[in-house]
Amino acid sequence: MNNPQDQRLHALDAVRGFALLLGVAFHAAFSFMPGWPPGIWAMNDNSPSQFLSDAAFVTHIFRMSLFFFIAGYFGRLLYQRLGAGGFWTNRLMRILVPLIVGWVILYPIIGYIWTVGLTKVFGGTLPPMPEMPKTPGAFPLAHLWFLYQLLWLYVAAVAVRALVVRLDPAQKLRGFVDKLVTGSIRTMIGMLTLGLPLAAALMSLSFWFYWQGIPTPDMSLIPQVPATVGFGTAFAFGWLVHRSSDALKAIEQRWLQHIALAIVATAWLLHVVHTEPMAQPGQTKTLFALTFGAAVWGWVLGLTGAALRFLSNYSATRRYIADASYWIYLAHLPVVAAFGVLVGHWQLHWSVKYPFILIASFALLFLSYHLLVRGTVIGQLLNGRKHRIWGRKPETPSPSPSPTSPGPGSPGPFAANTAGGGAVAQLRGITKRYGAVTALNSIDIEVRRGELLAVLGPNGAGKSTAISLWLGLIEPDAGVVTLLGGEPQDIAQRRMLGVMMQDVEMPKELRPRELVALASSYYSNPLEVDETLRRAGILPFADRPYGKLSGGQKRQAQFAVAICGRPKVLFLDEPTVGLDIQARAAMWTSIRALLADGCSIVLTTHYLEEAEALADRVAVVAKGRVIASGSVDDMRALVACRQISCESSLTAEEVRSWPAVVEVALEDQKLRITTTDAEGVVRRLLASDSRLARLEVRQAGLNEAFNELTREAA
Amino acid sequence: MNALALNSVDTASAPRASAMGAYVTETRYELIRMIRNPGIAIPVLALPFALYGLFALVIAGEAIDKDPNLGIFLFAAFSIMAVTMQALFGTGVTLALERDMGLLRLKRAQPAPPAAWVVAKIASGLVLAVLAYAPVVIVALAAGKLALDVGQIAAFSGALLVGTIPFCAMGLMIGSLASGSAAPGYANLVYLPGCYLSGMFFPLPQSMYWQAPIWPQFHVEQFAMHLAGITKYQYEPLSMAIAGMLGYTVLFAGITVWRLSRKG
Repeated sequence: MNNPQDQRLHALDAVRGFALLLGVAFHAAFSFMPGWPPGIWAMNDNSPSQFLSDAAFVTHIFRMSLFFFIAGYFGRLLYQRLGAGGFWTNRLMRILVPLIVGWVILYPIIGYIWTVGLTKVFGGTLPPMPEMPKTPGAFPLAHLWFLYQLLWLYVAAVAVRALVVRLDPAQKLRGFVDKLVTGSIRTMIGMLTLGLPLAAALMSLSFWFYWQGIPTPDMSLIPQVPATVGFGTAFAFGWLVHRSSDALKAIEQRWLQHIALAIVATAWLLHVVHTEPMAQPGQTKTLFALTFGAAVWGWVLGLTGAALRFLSNYSATRRYIADASYWIYLAHLPVVAAFGVLVGHWQLHWSVKYPFILIASFALLFLSYHLLVRGTVIGQLLNGRKHRIWGRKPETPSPSPSPTSPGPGSPGPFAANTAGGGAVAQLRGITKRYGAVTALNSIDIEVRRGELLAVLGPNGAGKSTAISLWLGLIEPDAGVVTLLGGEPQDIAQRRMLGVMMQDVEMPKELRPRELVALASSYYSNPLEVDETLRRAGILPFADRPYGKLSGGQKRQAQFAVAICGRPKVLFLDEPTVGLDIQARAAMWTSIRALLADGCSIVLTTHYLEEAEALADRVAVVAKGRVIASGSVDDMRALVACRQISCESSLTAEEVRSWPAVVEVALEDQKLRITTTDAEGVVRRLLASDSRLARLEVRQAGLNEAFNELTREAA
Repeated sequence: MNALALNSVDTASAPRASAMGAYVTETRYELIRMIRNPGIAIPVLALPFALYGLFALVIAGEAIDKDPNLGIFLFAAFSIMAVTMQALFGTGVTLALERDMGLLRLKRAQPAPPAAWVVAKIASGLVLAVLAYAPVVIVALAAGKLALDVGQIAAFSGALLVGTIPFCAMGLMIGSLASGSAAPGYANLVYLPGCYLSGMFFPLPQSMYWQAPIWPQFHVEQFAMHLAGITKYQYEPLSMAIAGMLGYTVLFAGITVWRLSRKG
């Protein structure tokens, strides 16, 4: 599981989290900028800082480009894993929804804090607010512009991809580009050339403060040229790096060189910002734009390489921070601005106030993440996974699988593509609790290819919990669930399963034929509806409303729904309850036919003869544990029970007290004795009762074995 | 690398085709169920129509003849009620009942795309909304209590139809959160205050203007007023009305999809 690819994803997650958290520090510095006229930010602090201004400039060179670079990498990864449909569903939920909901909630709050802050700045009277520019598309996106920009880049990337797939069927062009990408990193030419489009866009700006770097496109819904070119290059290169198999390695190898060159370039840029803050047409502007482009890529490749070099191992803390970073970045702006406003007129040096703002903001933001986000719908939306917060650990503390961490650039949980041996479905080390009740206690069960596994156990043993885990209906508190080599939550895995559950009522207005047609529409390669009806044996009542069917007929209709998608794994939870003998025999025949076709089946049942008739293997579950598993014969041998029947004058009570006697029943004047020591009991029977007649000894059925086993467990 | 890239194209296109099929089939059977069991919808269908008759024709009949704007106001109030109530209750209550039946648990276990279910519910909500709205507009026109031209009525009707979408989403959210017996109660709890506090049933005092945008009804009404060009009752720009409706739809639908895909 610890494959290098996963490790690299940890590192890239860390980089993305770093870029986002850097944004918090960046905006927290804004109230300390020297020389900013009142009104640009919510507060002008009485202790301005040239140092913070320089630091903000330096971080602003690369932080968003770094973010978009990682976003491009994860964008392609996600597209490969989910396909077009899954990709867009995922991105719309994790980018568009936070953009819209976030804006609706945050914008009024930001507005309020600005009103309070500016009232303070202007000594109590608020000057008239500057109006929104009257250009088409003008819209105050605030700091959420990056999500908006990202959506455009996804659209562009997918469009370009479609075009390339069409124009380059032989992959010649793509193979060449892959080599070019790796080569450009290794030779450091990439650092010098990747910034050229951005430099050109910056040179063409008529009004450019050097300090602002790439002008932030936060005031318009129309994509702005420098940002789209600069961040688009970063995104595209990230996408290509994911394509190319050696590019990450090259980035890792050249991390120091890239950072060193970035530092040199940045030093010169800082010098220019100090001496000539506003760009004038001429040589300096050209040189500044070119150096700026090189600095961007030096930092992007250098920091990514450093992370790959030093942060590739799993760390729970880093993972937590990376998980939190998306939420924190979304929510940070009003928080840092509010603290800036709060401390703005305190008579203290900025070196006290700025750390205070940072500490207070991060404390509040991490706390809000932990309490309001991590375990809730919001965390689900932003991170693709909900974590449990209090008490027990969420999952196995296995550090390796799936960089599930969040966010705008990253894909969310992945399916592990490993399946053990011939197993099509596995529960490994699973514990599941409901409140104080432990339904399953670190159990292991697996279903092998082409077999029928019967899960037996008394009510409340945990059978349905086990099935629910495999169906992805619930998540374990510990342990790993795999279904056909992936996660059961993954719709691609579920397209290969069929299911018949207990306690389900189908819509009573629809007919079995329609129910089957509807279920068939969920699968990519279902049986013909009539064929399904025939195999399930329900053609005679296929056109009667479901609500008017008998209990047994309803179960048969549900069986038809379960088998319509040509499942590779079929889960049958008590399938034959309420069926008459004929219907049950028909269902058994269908089940055997499915097994013959190579389908694997998990069956829970109370009818032991059903397990005896159908099962390759039996797992007996009691009190949340698997107390025995093996073939039907193994099961009998395990308990070594045999049944003695005889006519005798001895009473059942007498015999029950003998050693090695498991159970005694009186049926039709005959004693039926279940025992683990048949010879001993027979000897004693013959000795105690001279009139003993019709003695018979046989191997016990699964029924007796099962009773014995579950009684031991209790 | 090559094989990987090619594979990804194949797998991307195959499931998408079947997903589209699931959307269409799900919607079709949702409508069939509705037609076969109309009992659920009838009370909700009749109420706005009855109330419009009572207020606009019986109580305020003469007043409308003097001030046609009042007629437009009342028509807007009860036609919005007709479509939104239908959308909310038609989707929310049935969804909650189906969850109680265990049907959603089954859907989640099957590879049913959660959004297919949502789309089907919204489609049937739209159909019910049309059925509820039609008698209101017919009576209004027949009684001559609606001083709008044909184009305005068409625009208004179209706006209402679009306006059902956030309420379908709201119904689904309630249906996915509450049980079958509790769902009607919760639906009323969130729906009725909105009817009054959005200024839909009677004009609000100025001191309460600030809170009107909280209610989806307000944005739907504003959207309809803009599209029909009824300037007298426009209180927020068209863009805000659209943003409000869109925002609520995304919010409610997002919660629903999340909830259905996780809990059932």
